[in-house]
Amino acid sequence: MKKTLTTILAIVALFAALGLAQATKPSDLKYPALKYDPPDPKAFRTELAGGLRAYIQEDRALPLVNITALVNFGEIYVPKDKTGLAGLMGATLIKGGTKTREGSAIEDRVDFLGATLAFMAGERTSQLTMSVLSKDLDEGLAIFFDVLRNPEVREDAVKLAKARLIDQLRQANDQPSQILSREFEALLYGDHSLTRQPTKATYDGLTPADLKAFLSKYFFPKNIILSVSGDFAKADLKSKINRLAGGWNSRGLEIPALAKSFPQVEPGVYFIQKQINQGYISLGHLGIEDTNPDYFAVQVMNFILGGGSFTSRITTKVRSDEGLSYNQGSRFAYRWGFPGTFSGYVQTKSSTVGYAISLILNEFDRIRTAPVSDAEMETAVNYYLESFADGFQSAPATMANFANLEMTGRPRDYFKTYRDKIKAVTKAQVQAVAQKYIRPDQAAILIVGDWEPCNAGGDKWPGPLDKLGKVHRLSLRDPLTGAELK
Amino acid sequence: MRRTWMVALALLALAGAAAAGSLTLDVKEHVLGNGMKILMIPRPGVPRVVCHVYYKVGSINERPGITGIAHVHEHMMFKGTRIMGVTDFAKDSEIDRRIDELMDKIYREKYWKADGGDKAMIAQWQKEVDELVKAEKQHIIKDDLWTFYMKNGGTGLNASTGNENTGYYVTLPSNKVELQMLLESDRMANAYFREFYSEKDVVMEERRLSENRPGYLFGEQVNAAFYAASPYHWDVIGWMDDLRKMTKRDMVEFHNATYIPNNAVAIYVGDFDPARIVALAEQYFGRIPKGPDVEPVRTYEPAQFSEKRMAGEGPAPTSLQIMFHTPPEGQPDAAPLALLADVLGAGGGFRFGGGGGGTGRLYKLLVRDKEMAVNASASSRAQWYVGAFQFSATPRVDKNVQPEDLEREIWAEIDKIKKEGVTEEEIQKAKNRGEANFLRSLQSTMGLASRVGRAELNRGWRSILTDLDALKKVGNDDVKRVAAAYFVKDNSLTAVYRRKMGR
Repeated sequence: MKKTLTTILAIVALFAALGLAQATKPSDLKYPALKYDPPDPKAFRTELAGGLRAYIQEDRALPLVNITALVNFGEIYVPKDKTGLAGLMGATLIKGGTKTREGSAIEDRVDFLGATLAFMAGERTSQLTMSVLSKDLDEGLAIFFDVLRNPEVREDAVKLAKARLIDQLRQANDQPSQILSREFEALLYGDHSLTRQPTKATYDGLTPADLKAFLSKYFFPKNIILSVSGDFAKADLKSKINRLAGGWNSRGLEIPALAKSFPQVEPGVYFIQKQINQGYISLGHLGIEDTNPDYFAVQVMNFILGGGSFTSRITTKVRSDEGLSYNQGSRFAYRWGFPGTFSGYVQTKSSTVGYAISLILNEFDRIRTAPVSDAEMETAVNYYLESFADGFQSAPATMANFANLEMTGRPRDYFKTYRDKIKAVTKAQVQAVAQKYIRPDQAAILIVGDWEPCNAGGDKWPGPLDKLGKVHRLSLRDPLTGAELK
Repeated sequence: MRRTWMVALALLALAGAAAAGSLTLDVKEHVLGNGMKILMIPRPGVPRVVCHVYYKVGSINERPGITGIAHVHEHMMFKGTRIMGVTDFAKDSEIDRRIDELMDKIYREKYWKADGGDKAMIAQWQKEVDELVKAEKQHIIKDDLWTFYMKNGGTGLNASTGNENTGYYVTLPSNKVELQMLLESDRMANAYFREFYSEKDVVMEERRLSENRPGYLFGEQVNAAFYAASPYHWDVIGWMDDLRKMTKRDMVEFHNATYIPNNAVAIYVGDFDPARIVALAEQYFGRIPKGPDVEPVRTYEPAQFSEKRMAGEGPAPTSLQIMFHTPPEGQPDAAPLALLADVLGAGGGFRFGGGGGGTGRLYKLLVRDKEMAVNASASSRAQWYVGAFQFSATPRVDKNVQPEDLEREIWAEIDKIKKEGVTEEEIQKAKNRGEANFLRSLQSTMGLASRVGRAELNRGWRSILTDLDALKKVGNDDVKRVAAAYFVKDNSLTAVYRRKMGR
């Protein structure tokens, strides 16, 4: 104890001697320069047997290997009468086993090795991911490629997965947040493969043969990008994968025609009844694709409007000033190949629903009509510049980023030029993109909540809600049948 | 600059690497004169540093009347200090003092009087408060700390409050760690709780979000029934009445008693020079005086001596939970219980993707083979002062299976384990998974900071490795022993929840 104290006193004296100034305000701090260049995808990209593409990084810090196969397949490639097929594939690719292994044998072995193996099929891409100790790499890779190349989707696994997925359907109207996000997209995209929901009947109609047909149609080397990182020698790993992928043939890729026209949504209030003590709200319209040249200006603009957490206008106004909500803001959501959505969002007690919406609409209006301040620009731009290296903190995430970049057809210099493009955004551009991509006059305001108290409003904003536009009362659907609930 | 580095290196004599078998964890340690611990895990490469501060305080340090205050306080830590978030502290604090006086009068009238007090008088005071709040705004710089962090590239910016501890998080470019030292030491020493009353409204909205999650209110009651005496009885969010009625004075007392350097750990993971971190920590955190020691929680959970049962219904899936009291972490029985939870099915088939959880006993028996459950899992939560072992299952309603049917099945499995234990292969699998999961946890810099930082607060960071060692030593006799000791009716709470249709 005494010794520590002496040492500390010495240190303190030393600081004094060195004149290390202690800042009391963050504006007094001076930082040493920091230069960071992002890794170049080219340095990691390689082509393997059969045209299988891969991003590979050696990373010897831990005795682990991570491998992910990103497949160009998702629910939107599935025809209407097979809705839910991607979800069912997600639940059965591993459990259904391979030509030579039972699903449960695969799971037992993976767990015994302390490895993990998971498969997820999403909207437009799917991923098989494994993490395995490097001492078990050969066995792990053999299982990984067996699942990818030789899936058998056995009947019993499909039957069980269907029962569990149908049970999940029963919960579709439980969570107000889940209702809100599903119905907001349904409103904006209309009847489209992006918004279709499975029912008991569509699940019941799916067969192992359907799953196999889609697997053979989309799971081939040229339609897959691997990302691999961890404890291996790169050349060695490549020859292992080449062996496992040898003789695996590609076929022509058939992507179904995907409609890119969406309904004109009548602006106004859309209300879904749910007996809860808050209103869950999304208001907005379709947004843009992330390949849009205005993407960078939109990022900066939305950061200032409601994407930049506590530094953003919506959070400051609705949460910090008024104490109306815990969670609020605005977002541009993006999806591969389609315009995403733009929305303001908030959840607030029923009596302040109208008030919170009016405050968000004011902010939509304000960012369109007046230039943002220099300080707001500085915070937003610097956030993107200074936090840029964050995306490359882990080798698995970096390799996955590169694989995604290539899969979705974005330019290979995307990361290299990212900061310059953010830096180039001007205040005038921010206002211009706000005017172009935020259209309060076209906004659909979707509310999930209890009608009477929401419509009545409160002191600061007395109802009724039709002050915000024509009110449409929407019904929920029975998630099992898809029929409207009365 | 160079010389600082040399001296600080000598200080790092305290640095330690600890090992469990072949697994090692290299954490550099430094203790400030005021008792604050600085932990460092250098990860050269990408120029980012995960910077977390953990306080040994959470909802278990509350008492009836101020439940939820640890979490409200965490919110208040973002509302500025005597230096941050304010343009003119003298003027601002004068307004703030008058607001507090008025609110005190309102609370006494509204909450102390059974009839809710004189409404007209309350309205008059509230009007005065509203005007003062408006006047105060000109002195307030909104979310000053948050803005500084963000414009300097802060990510992972957040804070969280748990039963046992509270954490403040930011990841910064490696040349800007000094910003975190300044801002975190400032809010430890100079916290000033502006906008307290509107922030309580925000937290009440947060509580309503929970209430609107199907099944939450039942879960809150189950938890309260399971923990009768210990402060794990209430949820971190606290009871609504306490959120409404807690005062500024409660907040200041809470802060002064617990936000002291000798009750805190700072941890840094990333690309940095440890000597530089030590020097900065001495400079910024080192200036804060040590506070009086914080007494550990007094009330543990007494033996139940009776079976508890709860029934509820509402807008969530029908489900069954069976809970048992177990010893806290670090006790000899914690490792066999953790191993048993993994064998039975940690994660328990709730993960649809396959892999882990698909091989647990409960999944194989109840989900796959008997087709009685949609999910079935077990978990062992060895907390700081009390532990809990929990079985959870959701029945196949399409086959008309009832929660009580699953209860019988789970008890049959429990009885089997009491007699036969589990297989050697199952034991080895759980050990392999424990080791591999530990390695995986080292991959994420943020996860690592959180795990090591929190562990330090209770039993020291080396407990992560000693727990792993203990897991490796578990044998089948240990499994049988703990099953017999804890899985008994008088130590249990069974909760049956049914979906109420036609709502």
